[in-house]
Amino acid sequence: MAEAIQKKLKAEVEKYAQMQKDVSKSMSARQKLETQLAENNIVKEELDLLNSSNVVYKLIGPVLVKQDVDEAKATVAKRLEYINGEIQRYESVLKEMEKKSEQHREVLTSLQQEFQKAQGLAAGKV
Amino acid sequence: ITQYETFLAAVEVKPAGVFCVKDEADIKKVSGDYEALTDRLQTLPDQLSYDIMVPFGPLAFMPGKLVHTNEITVLLGDNWFAKCSAKQAQKIVDHRMKYVKNELDDLSKTMKNFEARVGFAKDLETISASKGDYVDIREEVGNNDSALTKGKQRIAHKPNSKPKLDVVWDLKEEDEEDEGERGDGGSRKGVMTEEELWARLDELEKLEELQDEQDRLSDNADMNGEDTSSSSSEEEKEAEAAPPVNGLSLKPSWSSISDSKAPLSTDRKKDDEEEEDNCLPTIFFSHTVEPKKVRINTGKNTTLKFSERKEQKEHSKRKKKNGHNNGHCHHELHKITTPADIYRLFVDVKNGEPIPRKSILKSRSRENSVCSDTSESSAADFEERRMIGRSFSHDEHSDTSDGITEEDSPTTVPLQLPSRYEAFSGTVIEKDPMPSAVPHLTISPPALPTILERKQEEVAPDVSPPQQLPKRVSKFKAARLQQK
Repeated sequence: MAEAIQKKLKAEVEKYAQMQKDVSKSMSARQKLETQLAENNIVKEELDLLNSSNVVYKLIGPVLVKQDVDEAKATVAKRLEYINGEIQRYESVLKEMEKKSEQHREVLTSLQQEFQKAQGLAAGKV
Repeated sequence: ITQYETFLAAVEVKPAGVFCVKDEADIKKVSGDYEALTDRLQTLPDQLSYDIMVPFGPLAFMPGKLVHTNEITVLLGDNWFAKCSAKQAQKIVDHRMKYVKNELDDLSKTMKNFEARVGFAKDLETISASKGDYVDIREEVGNNDSALTKGKQRIAHKPNSKPKLDVVWDLKEEDEEDEGERGDGGSRKGVMTEEELWARLDELEKLEELQDEQDRLSDNADMNGEDTSSSSSEEEKEAEAAPPVNGLSLKPSWSSISDSKAPLSTDRKKDDEEEEDNCLPTIFFSHTVEPKKVRINTGKNTTLKFSERKEQKEHSKRKKKNGHNNGHCHHELHKITTPADIYRLFVDVKNGEPIPRKSILKSRSRENSVCSDTSESSAADFEERRMIGRSFSHDEHSDTSDGITEEDSPTTVPLQLPSRYEAFSGTVIEKDPMPSAVPHLTISPPALPTILERKQEEVAPDVSPPQQLPKRVSKFKAARLQQK
């Protein structure tokens, strides 16, 4: 009896560990997005500082490609929006994952209690 | 405070603090770089070209020239480049410096927080060990003087303040002591305050009763056509209880209230009649004191101002006339003891027979209403009154349609019918006392004097509700037959 519970417990623990990994993955992805967001904000502001006289290039691979200043501004703005959307999406995913992990945690604790009881019983019997 | 807790505090705080420090160093380095860049940018365009040693691979240099000293390709971030002059580059650098400084400030703030936390953890450690000057004050829970509890009652209500570590950020030693006191005092006071609470509750109940009485008094003056019959009974009780006071204050309110045609007010009206108006068996006398806002019935139709007033005036006229008529006939009925008595008074004398009216609230002068605005409200009122009439009538005929009693009038004044149809077609026309102005109802009884039949056919299909047709037919047939 105790062994069965122990197995169950192990399985649950593994699942929980997996969940935690997922959570941390999405967290890191979100953090990356946040840094990108900050960077793009800076780029946007600096582009605004410039006028149309100077040339803007974009680095695509090893090539510096000439871009129009206004085009560049538009592109950066779009990218900003995209990043914001992604961040929101990740946030929602994170919330869900947290909820799930909470549930899992509860299951784990209950199982642990059972296990301890069983162990106590077994010790009593023996 | 256990050793464990202090340990936790310290452990939590330290790593975060360490990270802060690391970031701070990074940021400082970056800002140093930018400052050097600024200097360079300022000196660079001084010359058209510079002789320099150009790095040639990782190990070699070679002499070369630095040209285009004013053309600077700036990395804006995220793989975006911009070619600009030295001055423009300078602007960009300044902008970045601002950003870096902001970051630095934020970091320093967090550092301060962490430091404070660490300090607190250390203090806790000393306290728990009872080494320092600060002692955790603990008192045993026991019976205290009432004076003591009263004095400190307020402290007990503070949110639970166990000296836990993870919440407090402003760290003064006094705070810790206060917390300790509060936490312990709270548990102690909590027991005592229950008794206090019960006493308080009793006081409040008494206060409430007093308040209720006062409210009732004021309600009598304020209430205007409310539907709560209970309140009216209360008022009456109070009227009986303190007639001199209430009579004076309530009379004007009663008169104003009775303007409303709420069923509730019938109770008061009854009293009014007994007190004020012995000569006339009617209810309307209150119409002389007309408030601007007149609520009708259940208060759904509020503030039917102008038109309603007019209608009421006419209504009062009608009632006066009727009242007189009735007065001649039914002197013995002046005694009004129940609402049913009122209805007995409002009896239409038609065809030599006193036919009890379905609803006393319905004004005979409805067809005299001039304003078309009231059509809706009056229609609504009519509906409500009809319902009220039904609820109040005891010895009435079956409640098929309210138009029954009024329909009798066509028998007496058939000539007026043609114009009546016009009324039914939507417009409201001034008329003599024609019952059941109900424009939306009735309308073309199909069987009418021959002249009208044509019109009937036109109008009838449009307007007449099918349900009422059969009955009307019978009545008007009788009328026609009579005429013939």
